[in-house]
Amino acid sequence: MPSVKGQEWYQADDVAEEYDDKRFSRGGQLIDRREKEAVLEAITPVEDRRILEIACGTGRFTVMLAEAGADVVGLDISAAMLQQGRSKSQNAELSGTLEFLRGDAGRLPFPDDHFDTVIAMRFFHLADDPEAFLREMRRVSREQIVFDTFNRFSARSVYNWALPMGSRLYSKSEVSTLLAKTDLTLVDVEDDFLVPYGAYRSIPNSLASPIRTLDTVVGGTPITDHFASVSYWNTRLR
Amino acid sequence: MKESLLEILRCPLDKSELELEDAEYADDGEEVVSGTLVCTECGEEYPIEDGIPNLLPPDMREETPA
Repeated sequence: MPSVKGQEWYQADDVAEEYDDKRFSRGGQLIDRREKEAVLEAITPVEDRRILEIACGTGRFTVMLAEAGADVVGLDISAAMLQQGRSKSQNAELSGTLEFLRGDAGRLPFPDDHFDTVIAMRFFHLADDPEAFLREMRRVSREQIVFDTFNRFSARSVYNWALPMGSRLYSKSEVSTLLAKTDLTLVDVEDDFLVPYGAYRSIPNSLASPIRTLDTVVGGTPITDHFASVSYWNTRLR
Repeated sequence: MKESLLEILRCPLDKSELELEDAEYADDGEEVVSGTLVCTECGEEYPIEDGIPNLLPPDMREETPA
């Protein structure tokens, strides 16, 4: 049975309460914005789409998508994270719908082909058996799957030791093989963040912006592509 | 959760439909705040806790603190 690393750490109440503050303050805001752009770009038009988010955490993407008119279900393993998302959604102006539930990404509690889009951000670096998870996501999707991976050969690996759990890194060819095995077609892949996430989180906003700009300039050339530390994958069912 | 969510929820073990039992509703009458979801096929029960249904399979409940 596939499992997810760091389950206990992730589900602690204090981790959930401070999660947004820690992850998305300072340089983290840039990442937050970039990730949201990547998701919106891949999914647009969002209105009236049925979307499932795997490992939705405190609901960053689910709230955004429901505000934009989608009918969204957010699934996570942590009750504490989901309660944060629930209170966030109660204060938001939703033009679509939003429901949260606790569940296992490897055994989703939904019928086949129910959702238009399934997304999983910051999930696959914790997955021990990515193929099994991707296959299960595909089962409940009828059109599209969007996810990100942290890349092998990226600068990110140098600070992996600092994370509460090690991250699984992927090469492009590994992901291509995964897509082929699960009958998915690649629509688009975007690479971002030459500077690893940890550095962004620890630097003040005034410094983060210029670095981010430089990152985009350098990262835009093909030569540095494989140093990018994140890839956003937009795929469709075959 | 809204009661309408029930239409798309399935048992994580056998993907059969679920029935809502002992439901308690919020003051607005729309939100189910507690209750039990029961699989119509295998009879497994899944609790609704503080408005959030817990569809974790039984083998994952112990190792995952609330």
